[in-house]
Amino acid sequence: MSVPSVQIAKERLHTLLGADRIECTPDITEQLSSDIYHTLAKYMDLNSRKIEVQITRSEILIRYTGEKN
Amino acid sequence: MGEVIVITSGKGGVGKTTTTANIGIGLAQAGKKVVVIDTDLGLRNLDVVMGLENRIVYNLVDVIEGNCRMKQALIRDKRYPELCLLPSAQTKDKTSVSPEQMKKLVDELKDEFDYILLDCPAGIEQGFQNAVAGAEHAIIVTTPEVSAIRDADRIIGLLETSGIKKNDLVINRIRIDMVRRGDMMSVDDVTEILAVNLLGVIPDDEQVVVATNQGEAIIGSDSMAGHAYENICKRLMGEKVPVPDFKQADGIVGRLIHLLKKN
Repeated sequence: MSVPSVQIAKERLHTLLGADRIECTPDITEQLSSDIYHTLAKYMDLNSRKIEVQITRSEILIRYTGEKN
Repeated sequence: MGEVIVITSGKGGVGKTTTTANIGIGLAQAGKKVVVIDTDLGLRNLDVVMGLENRIVYNLVDVIEGNCRMKQALIRDKRYPELCLLPSAQTKDKTSVSPEQMKKLVDELKDEFDYILLDCPAGIEQGFQNAVAGAEHAIIVTTPEVSAIRDADRIIGLLETSGIKKNDLVINRIRIDMVRRGDMMSVDDVTEILAVNLLGVIPDDEQVVVATNQGEAIIGSDSMAGHAYENICKRLMGEKVPVPDFKQADGIVGRLIHLLKKN
């Protein structure tokens, strides 16, 4: 029996909303995750199958010390 | 003070206008003073859905530009004495009104009406910004489709940053038979993704097309969609009405339970 189309819809939505919310296409997210993995692997003993990268986008505020309000 | 509710969706064609009209009529039937406003400049539809298209003299832009007084532009629906429509302009575009002007117009109506319902245009541009400007509560309409849910998610994000305090979700055109065979997302599937309060579920009902053809309300008729809109109105007025179970029923046992629950 074929996969119910709901399953496909849900998976597509999951990817789509993930990309929309972080404003990053799935291709770039994958590349970013791979870069992060390779960077970490330089310093730690890692297993590529056990690593999971989560990306969250939030407002970032950088304030320099001594800066006036 | 009246409550200002914007009915929005992002994607077009999911049932914003039908929902605005029927919630407006339902609340008016319950004795509330209601005004429904079509904010889709250049593409007015709400008047047609409500069967009031032949009674338009002045419109929203006329009021804002001072060509007439508010009272002159409001169309009183003879079938529902508590209901008024403020129609949109057909020959103007969305840049002829600013969010500030819309907010002022809506504030003026708050003294006189219990509910001010704003039918928002599709999209996220100025038309959306205008419609949202004066609102404190949003009803997001979606259908169980990937494109509509994606747009609804976008809209929910935008509403959160534009000072709307309360977001409610209406899932339109659910087909229980398709949900059962795994070919349509269920209510749970949608609410899991969109994570906002569920206000109601409207089953896909051909009677909606019949009513729209005639310029009449679906609410108040003995139809599945009509009853669903009645429940939405009750919930808006603070009554606790459970959302019927549209869950996937598993095999014979599930269907039997479903049947028993119904009776």
